[in-house]
Amino acid sequence: MNPPIDPIAARLERELKHARPLIGCRFDPSGRFVFASSEDDTIQRFDLLTGTKTALLGHRSWVRGLAFVGTPIAGSGEVAAWQRRQTNLHAVAGFGGTMLPPPKAAPFTLISGDYHGNLIWWQGDAETPKPIRTVEAHKGWVRAVVVSPDGTRIASCGNDNAVKLWKADDGTLIRTLEGHASHVYNVAFHPDGTRIASCDLKGVAKDWNIKTGVADRDLDAKILTKYDPTFMADIGGARAMAFSPDGSKLGCAGITNVSNAFAGVGNPAVVVFDWKDGKAKVLKPKDAFQGTAWGFVFHPAGFSLAAGGGSGGRVWFWKGDDVVSMHMLTIPGNARDLALTADGERFAVANSGGSVYVYTFTPGPATTPVAPPKK
Amino acid sequence: MLVCFLLATVVSVGDARNPLPNRIDTLIAAGFPDFTKVAAPPADDAEFCRRVYLDLTGTIPTAAEVRSFLADKNPKKRTALINSLLNTPGFIRRLMWFLDVTLMERRADAKVPRAAWESYLQTAVTENRPYNVLVRDLLSNDGSDPKTRAAAKFFLDRDLEPNLVTRDLSRIFLGRNLQCAQCHDHPSVIDYKQEEYYGIQAFVNRSFLFPNAQAPTAIIAEKAEGDVTFVSVFDKAKKSYTVTPKMPGMKAATEEKPEKGKEYKVAPAANVRPIPLYSRREQLAGAITSRDNPAFARTAVNRVWSMMLGRGLVNVLDWDHSANPPSHPELLDLLAAEFVSHNYDVKWLVSQIAYTQTYQRSSEVPATLTDVPADRYLVAIMKPLSPEQFAFAISQAGGQPNGNGALGPFRSMFGARPGEAQDGLTATLDQTLFLKYGGTVRSLIAGRPALLAKLTTDDAIAEELFLSVLSRLPTADEKRDVIDALKSAKDRNAALAELTWALVASAEFRFNH
Amino acid sequence: MQRCTYSCNTADHGLSRRAFLGASTAAALGPSGFANAYANAELAKTQKRVLVIFLAGGASQLETWDPKPNTDTGGPFKAIPTSVPGTHIGELLPYTAKQMHRLAIVRGLNSVSDDHGIGEKIMLTGRKPEPAVEYPHIGAVAAKLLGNSAASALPGHIQILPKGSSGFGKADATFLGPKFGSVSLGDGKPPADLLRPANMTAESDAAREDFRRKLNDRFAKSRKSAATDAYAESFEQAERVVKQGEVFDIEKEDPKVADRYGRHDLGRHFLLARRLLEAGVTYVKVSHSNYDTHHENFDFHIEQLGEFDRPFAALMDDLAARGMLETTLVIVMSEMGRTPKINANYGRDHWSRAWSVALGGCGIKGGAVVGKTNANGTVVTDREVYSGHLFHTYLQAVGLDSSKSFHPNDRPIPIADPKTAAISEILA
Repeated sequence: MNPPIDPIAARLERELKHARPLIGCRFDPSGRFVFASSEDDTIQRFDLLTGTKTALLGHRSWVRGLAFVGTPIAGSGEVAAWQRRQTNLHAVAGFGGTMLPPPKAAPFTLISGDYHGNLIWWQGDAETPKPIRTVEAHKGWVRAVVVSPDGTRIASCGNDNAVKLWKADDGTLIRTLEGHASHVYNVAFHPDGTRIASCDLKGVAKDWNIKTGVADRDLDAKILTKYDPTFMADIGGARAMAFSPDGSKLGCAGITNVSNAFAGVGNPAVVVFDWKDGKAKVLKPKDAFQGTAWGFVFHPAGFSLAAGGGSGGRVWFWKGDDVVSMHMLTIPGNARDLALTADGERFAVANSGGSVYVYTFTPGPATTPVAPPKK
Repeated sequence: MLVCFLLATVVSVGDARNPLPNRIDTLIAAGFPDFTKVAAPPADDAEFCRRVYLDLTGTIPTAAEVRSFLADKNPKKRTALINSLLNTPGFIRRLMWFLDVTLMERRADAKVPRAAWESYLQTAVTENRPYNVLVRDLLSNDGSDPKTRAAAKFFLDRDLEPNLVTRDLSRIFLGRNLQCAQCHDHPSVIDYKQEEYYGIQAFVNRSFLFPNAQAPTAIIAEKAEGDVTFVSVFDKAKKSYTVTPKMPGMKAATEEKPEKGKEYKVAPAANVRPIPLYSRREQLAGAITSRDNPAFARTAVNRVWSMMLGRGLVNVLDWDHSANPPSHPELLDLLAAEFVSHNYDVKWLVSQIAYTQTYQRSSEVPATLTDVPADRYLVAIMKPLSPEQFAFAISQAGGQPNGNGALGPFRSMFGARPGEAQDGLTATLDQTLFLKYGGTVRSLIAGRPALLAKLTTDDAIAEELFLSVLSRLPTADEKRDVIDALKSAKDRNAALAELTWALVASAEFRFNH
Repeated sequence: MQRCTYSCNTADHGLSRRAFLGASTAAALGPSGFANAYANAELAKTQKRVLVIFLAGGASQLETWDPKPNTDTGGPFKAIPTSVPGTHIGELLPYTAKQMHRLAIVRGLNSVSDDHGIGEKIMLTGRKPEPAVEYPHIGAVAAKLLGNSAASALPGHIQILPKGSSGFGKADATFLGPKFGSVSLGDGKPPADLLRPANMTAESDAAREDFRRKLNDRFAKSRKSAATDAYAESFEQAERVVKQGEVFDIEKEDPKVADRYGRHDLGRHFLLARRLLEAGVTYVKVSHSNYDTHHENFDFHIEQLGEFDRPFAALMDDLAARGMLETTLVIVMSEMGRTPKINANYGRDHWSRAWSVALGGCGIKGGAVVGKTNANGTVVTDREVYSGHLFHTYLQAVGLDSSKSFHPNDRPIPIADPKTAAISEILA
């Protein structure tokens, strides 16, 4: 049983650095590693335990879909305990002077999707993970990859307007879900494992029956899309998508009120659907922030959080059924993705400056203010 | 008429008792061998009537006005018509258009709205304000008093940009396009000196728009310091010269030098409009309109002459220099001197020109004349209607004397680009289509068929149609064509509309011939 | 009358027009924007034409003609092989890739200005703006120097804009005179007054024209002048335009051909462009909007190039199939390129220092690639050219001597910037 988690307690724990702008980030099931994809076509694995950084080389394009098959480890107690011991050691030997051998990571598989349309399978815990399997999954970009709650299936979506279901263990295509009329920006498994939700550029969200491959209903997330008549182009789509742990709500995050698509002038918004009746409400930041919500999660403790970028980076928190954010964190650069550990104790934000900011809700030393990036 | 011509040549040109129109005609006649033998005869009554209506009131006469003029047996009916037209609202309108286009060259009304500017011009023309007084007023107003601000339009709607203002002061008031002299003495016009350019600029270089040139309500402010220096781009040594305010050909203005610390009535500060004790700009109006500045009157009369005759005595109105002499130098001198001695009275000048044989000559080329040099005034020059005349004339042809509503579309379609002189004819595709199929023209002339249809005979319709649109009676052939067209028409009203349009779209209508 | 011949002088348009009208033949006065009615019939077959496809806002060279995949600036896209062995272009142009044997790429362009308006002017006039002279756009230059075919009365300088209204512009012809100014077709629509109003019958139109002609003939007997002739002739020219009015109606096109172009805006506009060129119009520019992708450069290039690629290939095929490509110079340009550096919003910003233009058709060596940028596209490393070089190249490609001058007001103004010369490597 987790202690109650207060959004206001969130504090910056670590800043993990990479030389190039980051695109996506996810924690592994154990919460020990943060994987972050970068504009240099790599995926960087940061080991929160040891501080080591390992590059996963294999994609030839940008990656935004990151998903894992593995057993979630209850609590990150192990990490915390080891870190405490490490900290004591650092007092003597300085950072990096690792004396204790780190515990061996539990095995897990990473499946990543790139903008050339490929899915790659990796042994995520290997010392230097190498591609195990590459599947040409979509024509054009793979925009999102997710794993079913039971870990047996993968869903991917992309610019070929398709959602595809794959066997997680061998990469066999199970089914292609066809029906979107524009690029599919995101996909999510319902926690009960029987349904998939997806959302496209035009703000059409679909509720798919996995067994039949039929979309039983469309949900309207069109406030997240706009045809900009000045520039004659479409902007929008769900940049992030997540179900609440109990499956009662689905959130689609993106940009709304767009007045200038080509300058990204608009406001972040999260459309939250009541999964049962399909009714939507819109979560908005309290501040007049300009940009896009690139990441969104429901926290098991009952609140939700989103990360956004456009004119700097933000993380917003919404309590319960509130539609206006109750708390906000500022990060340098543009926040481009948001990830939450399975136990909800940590979250990570990847940014355009190449950093992953790891926040924790557990009490600890005072938060070091984040230095603005040097120009 | 022939008698008049002969008389004119006998009486001395220099004799002040000799009326000015005669002296003008004498000097024109002296400009070509055997002038009276080869020149075109006087315009017939209808031709004269249309011409003088267009020139003095900006529109064509109504059919009734043409009829009445043609029927008038008074031997002095032309002079009488001129005198009567000069006292109509039409003359005020026509002169307003002339002054507006001359002074502003169709620039956008950014800082002085059109209505205020027109109201200002209307007052000036109605009271027949002497031209030098008008120009003094324009060049001395700083725009700060809302009641008189319109007068500052010349500067305000040029953003008081020093090079633009210098160029236009010299072009519009001195007849000299000094623009090339901005960077060096003019390479091909020996008279145009860089020093002159900057001498004019020195009157305005301390002035600027406050709070800034973008503000629609900006007013003119001036600093107490700042000199104009220039370097010729031809000068390898890059020697720099400093000049003080000076009109070309005149003495430099005497400069007051207030004592140090007392240069300002209102000293410059943040968000404060400075007012210097001694204003260079205030010297400009006096200097430019001074009787010691012959270019001012000379340019003014040349522009009025060009409005009436379709060609300047100095041709290309801003190109007055010794290598481009006037076609009739003595005449230009005479007109300028008379204009000054008649207190810069534009209306008087227009009347004197209108009285001349030269003005009243026919535009029909005599069969004997094969080569017609335009600058000899042997034949009246056909003038394309200005956008304003065209708008009013088409309205009138359609039965609607007030053409104000058509001014906008005609100005934007036929007007020169902002800042450019309006001259010559353009016949671009868009203009032709505007006339051919455009809704504006169609609706302007839509009323004429109904007016014609009231007449009982086709003969009467043909006459009325020609009188209403072309301000003359139809020839026998033309009358027959109209009657035939109406006889064979399935839809009489459509046929009348077709005929009306054909007359309006004819070359005869497009020109003041 | 000798006017200032130094380049510091502002071209005086009033005088330009005066000089233009001073020419005392009706032909010179002739109304405008029309065909050169005196061109002989032979010319119709060999008439050279120019088609500019303007990717408005500044298309990214890295997503089009000069991809740098897997570098810090390359973005997520692949480079794909083309019909020219060894030449790769961006993966968003798969159909265009199959046209590369008909296209040459200039990869070392430095267009000097990162401003939309100035950049457009630089690219369309081949000159850096000078305070003193307004240079005519390539469309006006082409219309003047090439002239329409004898068979066509259509305006010689037409631009098809993605949206907005249709009308007549005169400013882009500057000292060449308003007759060479552009006629704009907003969303391909002809200007309102270009065609006979619906409520006027052809008979009625003909009747009133007959009467007008009679009046003019009588008037001209004793009062003929160059100006009256020009005025009368302008109506004859307008009538010839009206007779060619069907050219604006793409519904007259074979539906199969229309399908190949694509049933969407740009497809329609390309098809209209081809119809106009085929009907003898000298210069057509089609603008495609918009590429000013400061934000989400990659998503927006997918959408915009997705619209462009297939219709463009269809257009090239169609021009080739009709034998028009030999006489039609095709240029794909923008007002600038986009920064190699990808900004924090996944955007690319304004960039003029090292980008690309593609050309094809008349006078162009298909498959040629000239100029190089460095590994990540930030610097031109070989054969840097300016817009002036391109301007010379356009003119020479259509058989004109680009070293000649215009003479507004007897003052020589070189047609193309004399500090630059044609890119001979891509000339056939």
